[in-house]
Order: sequence, then C-alpha cells, then structure tokens
Amino acid sequence: MDKEFLKNSSRSVTLNITGGKIDSYREKEQTTGTVRVYANGKIGVAGCLGEPDEEKLTAQAEKALELGIPYVSALDGALERTRDNSAEIVPEKELIPTMQAMLDEIGKECPGFAVSNKICLTWESGEYRNSNGRNLKSSGSSLAISLLFQSRGSGNLMDAFYQYSGRTFDPEKVVAGCKTVYDAYNTPAELEEGEWPVIISAGELLGQAISHFVGEIYVSGASLLGGKLGEECFSEKLSFGDDRNSATNPGSFFFDDEGTVSPEDRSLLIQNGTLKAVLTTKNSAAKFGLPVSGHAGSAYDGVPTLTMQGLYVARTADDIRRIVPGKAVYVMSASGGDYTPSGHFATPVQMAYLVEGGRLVGRLPELNISGDFFDILGKNYLGAIPNTLANCCPDSLMVTKLQVTK
Amino acid sequence: MVKFRENYYADVRIEDRSRTVIQYQDGNLQEFKTPVEVRAFLRVYDGKMWYYASVTDVAHVQKTLDRLYDAASPNPDIEKDPIVSKLERNRDRKFIFEDHSVRNIPVEEKQALLRSYLPLLSEDSACAMPIGIYLDRNSVFTFRSSLGADITYDYQTCGLSLRCSMAEGEKKFSAAWQRGCTRFEELKGLTDEIRASMREQAAFMRESVPVVPGKYPVVLSPEAAGVFAHESFGHKSESDFMLSDESMRQEWQIGKQVGSPILSIAECGEYPGSGYVPYDDEGTKARKNYLIQNGILAGRLHSGQTAAALEEGLTGNARAIDCTFEPIVRMTTTYIEPGDQTFEQLIAPIQKGYYIKTISHGSGMSTFTIAPRLAYEIENGHLGKPIQISVITGSVFETLGLIDGLSNELTLLSFVAGGCGKMEQMGLPVGFGGPCVRVSEMNVQ
Repeated sequence: MDKEFLKNSSRSVTLNITGGKIDSYREKEQTTGTVRVYANGKIGVAGCLGEPDEEKLTAQAEKALELGIPYVSALDGALERTRDNSAEIVPEKELIPTMQAMLDEIGKECPGFAVSNKICLTWESGEYRNSNGRNLKSSGSSLAISLLFQSRGSGNLMDAFYQYSGRTFDPEKVVAGCKTVYDAYNTPAELEEGEWPVIISAGELLGQAISHFVGEIYVSGASLLGGKLGEECFSEKLSFGDDRNSATNPGSFFFDDEGTVSPEDRSLLIQNGTLKAVLTTKNSAAKFGLPVSGHAGSAYDGVPTLTMQGLYVARTADDIRRIVPGKAVYVMSASGGDYTPSGHFATPVQMAYLVEGGRLVGRLPELNISGDFFDILGKNYLGAIPNTLANCCPDSLMVTKLQVTK
Repeated sequence: MVKFRENYYADVRIEDRSRTVIQYQDGNLQEFKTPVEVRAFLRVYDGKMWYYASVTDVAHVQKTLDRLYDAASPNPDIEKDPIVSKLERNRDRKFIFEDHSVRNIPVEEKQALLRSYLPLLSEDSACAMPIGIYLDRNSVFTFRSSLGADITYDYQTCGLSLRCSMAEGEKKFSAAWQRGCTRFEELKGLTDEIRASMREQAAFMRESVPVVPGKYPVVLSPEAAGVFAHESFGHKSESDFMLSDESMRQEWQIGKQVGSPILSIAECGEYPGSGYVPYDDEGTKARKNYLIQNGILAGRLHSGQTAAALEEGLTGNARAIDCTFEPIVRMTTTYIEPGDQTFEQLIAPIQKGYYIKTISHGSGMSTFTIAPRLAYEIENGHLGKPIQISVITGSVFETLGLIDGLSNELTLLSFVAGGCGKMEQMGLPVGFGGPCVRVSEMNVQ
C-alpha cells in the first residue's frame, strides 16, 4: 500500500501597532500531521493537530479508504533533500524594543503618517515522506513587516502602505522605504488619460484570472486558455508560475504536498510566453491527461487540492528605466477588479503613483485601469522588475500597458 | 477551571468546532471529512500591553495563561483601566441550535441530500465539471474573564455550494449557486430553485453582451445591496481605523450627513445565520446598532479598546475568525433598511441602466468595487438583455448620497463558503442583505 506522511510545524510572534506604538504581542504555535494511504485507486486520509502518532494515523487512514474517495496517485521515487533557511533575524527577546525603535524613527521621518498594522517573525518547518523512499525537509525563518499609513486628517481607512518580507532585518532600509512613500504621497501628480505602462503586482493583475489556469476549468472548456497548452500565446518576456524558492518567497517549502519538486523550486505555468502547464494535483493530472504541475496543497486532514504558495514572475530588468524610460503608473493598491467571462479586465486603483526616472515622483488621483487578458500578457506586456519601488520584497512587479482613465 | 491572577485582566475563549465537508466533482466523491477541533485563545492585559496566545491542546490553557501573566506586569488598578472598565461581565448559557444540531444528523443523510442535487448541474448541454459541496459547522463557545464573565453559547450554519463551468464555442461562464442557513431542513426541496438558477446562468452565458463602459443608474438586488452596505460603509464603521489618528474623530463626528436621507444601515449580531454573534469574543452582548440613520452618521462598531479610546459604548463587534487570532472590530450582520417601493416602481423611471442580480465579490475603502456575476440591462423601465460587467465602482460617499430608491422588502442572506477578510484574518462568517436599492449613477465597466 502506498503511503505518504506529512508534518508541518510553525511558530510565530506577532506585534500589533496602533498609532506608531506596539500595543500587543501574540504567540502562535501549531503542529499538524497527516498520513495518506492509497489502494485500488482510492485515497484514505487521516490528520491530527499536535505531534503526530504515525502508527495511529496510518490505521485511521486505512479505515478512511472505506469512504471510497477515488484518487490516482503515482508516488514520486526516492529522493533525500533537506533545506534549512533558519537564521536569527532579530533576537526574540529584543524584538519589541528593536521594532519600537524603528517605528519611532519612521514617526520622525514621516510625521504626517499615522502608522498601524503588524510585524511578524515566523519559524516554519515541513516534512514529506513516502513509501518509495522520498524524504524531503524544509525549514526556515522569515520576517514580515506590514505597515499601513493614514495621512493625518484624511479620514481614510488607509492612504498608503509599506511592506517588507525577507530573512534579514535592516531598520535603516525600512525607514528609508517608508520615507520614499511619504515623500511621494505628499507630492501631487497628474497624468492624462490614455494607454500607459502600469507597474502592478501579479496578485492584483492576475489574482482573479488564476481560475483560468485550473486544470479542471481548462478541460471543461470554460477557461480563456482552453486548448492552448503548449502554445506561445503570451509575450516571450513572460514566465509565470508558483514560487517555492525561498530567495523570492521567504517561508515557502521547496516541495508541494505530494512531494513534487520543480526546477529552481518554481512550478511554471507560462515559460517564455508558452503555456507549459495548468494547475494540477497528481489526481487531476492523471484523470485529465495533463502534466503534473506541482501545485498540490492540503488541509492537514484533507484530500490534496490545488494551491499556490506565491506568484512568481521572472524578472526581465533590475530597473524600471530599462523597460520604461519615461512615465509609468505604479499601482500600490487596486480595489477588487475582475475579468468578464470574455477576458476584459477592469479595476479602480485607490493608491496610484507616478513613476519617472526609476523612482516614485508623486501621488496620482484615484483612477481606473482596464485591458484585455491576452493583450495584458501578450502584445502589451513589457516585463518585470524587483518589488522595490515602494516596498522591499523579494518578488517581482509586472509591467504592462493598460488603459488609464479617471 | 482556569485560575485568574489578581492585578491583571485576562480572558479565555474556547471553541469546540465540529464541521462536515462533503464534496463531489464530476460525479466523483472528492472530499468527505467530519473534523472536530477544540482550540483556545488567551488574552492578558496589564494596562499597557496585550499578551495573546493560541492553544490547540486545552490541557495547556493554565500553563500558557501563566506564561502570559509572567510576561506582563502586575497593575493593582487594572479594573479602573478605561478598557477593562468598559468590558461587560455577562453570565449566560444560550443554546438555540441544540434541538436541531447538525452534529446529530447522520452524515449519510447529508451526503444523500447533496447527491440529489448534483444532476441539476449537468442538465444543460453547456455544463461541465460540476462541483457540489455540502458544508456545516456547529460550534460551542465558552468565554470566561477575570471580571467574572461566564458565557457559553452555540453557533450553527449549514449549506450547499454548487458550481459548474459553462462553455459553448467561444462563450464561457462560471455558474454558481449557494445557500446558507441554520437548519438542515431548510436545505431540502430546493430542486426547482437550483434548476431555475442554472437555466438562467446558461442563458446568460449564451446571450450576454459586453457593457459599454460609462456612468449609469444602477439597481442593486438585496445580495448586491448587502455587499455594497458591507463594503462601502460597514468597513468604514469599524472604529479601529480611528485609533491611530486623533483627527479622525473630527472627520467622523456622529450626526454628520453621510448619505441620502432615505438611507439607513444597521448592524446586529442577534439574527440566526452566518453573522450570528450573540456575544462577541470579549463577552459583549449583541445589540442593534445603526451606522447610518436617515442619511446621518449614527454610530460605529467597537471593541473594548476602541470604545474606551473614543469614549463610546460597546457594540458587540470584537470578533476573531477562530481561536488562533485576537478579536478585532468586525461586522456581524449588516443591512440596509427597506423603503416603500416595489421592484417595478424602482426600475420604472430608468431609461438606460443596469440591474445587478448576483455578485462574485466586493471590496471597498474610499472607493468600493463590486464584481457582478449576473447583470441585466434596464431599458425604458423594463429589464432587458443580460450584460457582462467586470466591475461597478464609485466613491463611497458620493454613491451613498446618490441612493434615490429602496424596495419594500428586506432579505437577509447567509453563506457557508467565503467570508469577510480584514488584514490577516480572512473568511470571517458575516451576514448581509437589504432591499433592492436604486443608485442614480455608478461607474459601470
């Protein structure tokens, strides 16, 4: 009988900030265990909160085979790999004073901003084993700083924000990043309506389009991508997929929940403009004759389903000036845009900035952006740059031409 | 029994959550589980800082609480602290789902009910990849505080979420139908309703045409109006956003005109449904709160911390998505109060506009966004052809002032999939609703 064992542990310490002051400290710790067994085309799953008793879970999973849940899973072969990205980012005992000192500096540099939200230090470890001798372990620590800014007197829930994620901590860099946002926020800018290069995160631009990449939707014919697997239907500058590489997605594990490991720890859906894969588990890949894409996730007590740990976009330049020498719009925060069934995308942009000469030069009024799915990723796609215009995150920002209206 | 220490405020919230998840895809069973999880969340406050921890083994509650006490500093005046002195000391046992708990319904009956509806997702030739999900949850919450609060209550939802892909040539659509309620019996006998919905969505797939973007009069269904109320003004009423900037109090003075004189938005955790919160996660009893009454800013939503800071009363809105997070200010059931017109009267004066019948999602800050799923043209006072719309958007305050008609029936809706997201806490169950709402102008794209 084929068998998989998974164990995940995480611990986090989170500080809450109100009005620039740390007002709470939260500790969370969780361990989960999972056993999956496979027999006669069926899956049995058992999971637990807390330290797993593998023998007990195995017996429960074997019992769960009686539920008759069909699942095709060809377990991957033997592979031993361990990766440990744990490091002391900030000594835990010094976390509150260290972060409060940084917040005090931000308060001095950005006096017109009221600062709130969270700082989180996380330690995570994951383990995957199967009966074919595959044994994968991944662990690491990461720091996430997410600061919301209200411009004093604006009356708004939020006027700007700053994000850092990574495995090191440089308070001066964070303060400088916040100051960049502050200065740009306080400099009004204008831009005439028309087609402009727009710098935007993959989540804001493609979040609502991910369903078109789902294997089941793809084979149903309802995907905009239907029948295009293997075709070059986007700009050759575009490579896009799931990011399990800790260099660009701190805190991620290098394997998915079925033990699939991808080249460079990135499961690409689009490679140099060609649709290479759609999102599958081993079961859906086998059922629909699609490639295994390495996107299996699961609740600790659940059958594998689809997940993406982080959206990866291959960088084409380290500086926006290499892609757009003139003006561009930076979307700090859009607001719930979507695609019509025929692929028209539209969204209001609540926080938009004018970029010129490689930096934020001013805050634009609220505006709207729109475009067609295939144009956005095809003839209008200009490339991708580091997410460092305002934030300091290791992922990338997409650059594409969109229609900008007021 | 938890032992609280003197000179600190502390509370312990425990949830015993039982769930059922049954899912079919393309006729095959895909998930079948009935997990029961017990978790606890602990808070200690010393007048300066809050110390929180979540626990998955309730045997460790006392040990963890003692660790939080050790991190905090004793404060002999803690009961005089502005936050602590606001917190209620309710003692109650409130079980309203005991006689029809979903824990007592055989899982085979739930599975059979779901299976009975699955063929409806394949009746139209354009349908593919049908997905049917049955979900239920019964929770027993206990809350105890060092002030003497001692509350136990139950919470329950059950429901169905049905989806399928529709495709015919180049025409594509993702069809969806969902029903959330509190009694399993309410999920029976829905065949005609589901069939009619799937037929309507298939017709939408075949006949809908793209909208010409522009500004138009819009009529929102109760579902769209509820999301609009939640996104446009509900989040602005969560007063934790007022804590960081003192000038916000001036901007958000009670009594300020913020909307059309016919508009009243209320909020209440007392209604059984996905937004049922008889006691919030600080032990505050639910009550009806007006956010806007006749166009005037009438109130806002509070936790103990925000009520103390703004010197206002508690409202019962300190909520966490589960026992792994601290309570923050959140909505429960938010709705627009009805008016006096029929639906026909609402659309009669519109020469060219749109009716938003169902939605995919919504969001909002200073601008709100709603992504419709089914929308129809209104032409010369009558409903017309189906229309594809990416989003309807607008400035919150401008749009609240442009509401010029309300239908006379209130519909409150519950959901079992999805939920409200705020910062790190996503998927909080909430309820919402309203009448049909006419807005004289919205940006339609």
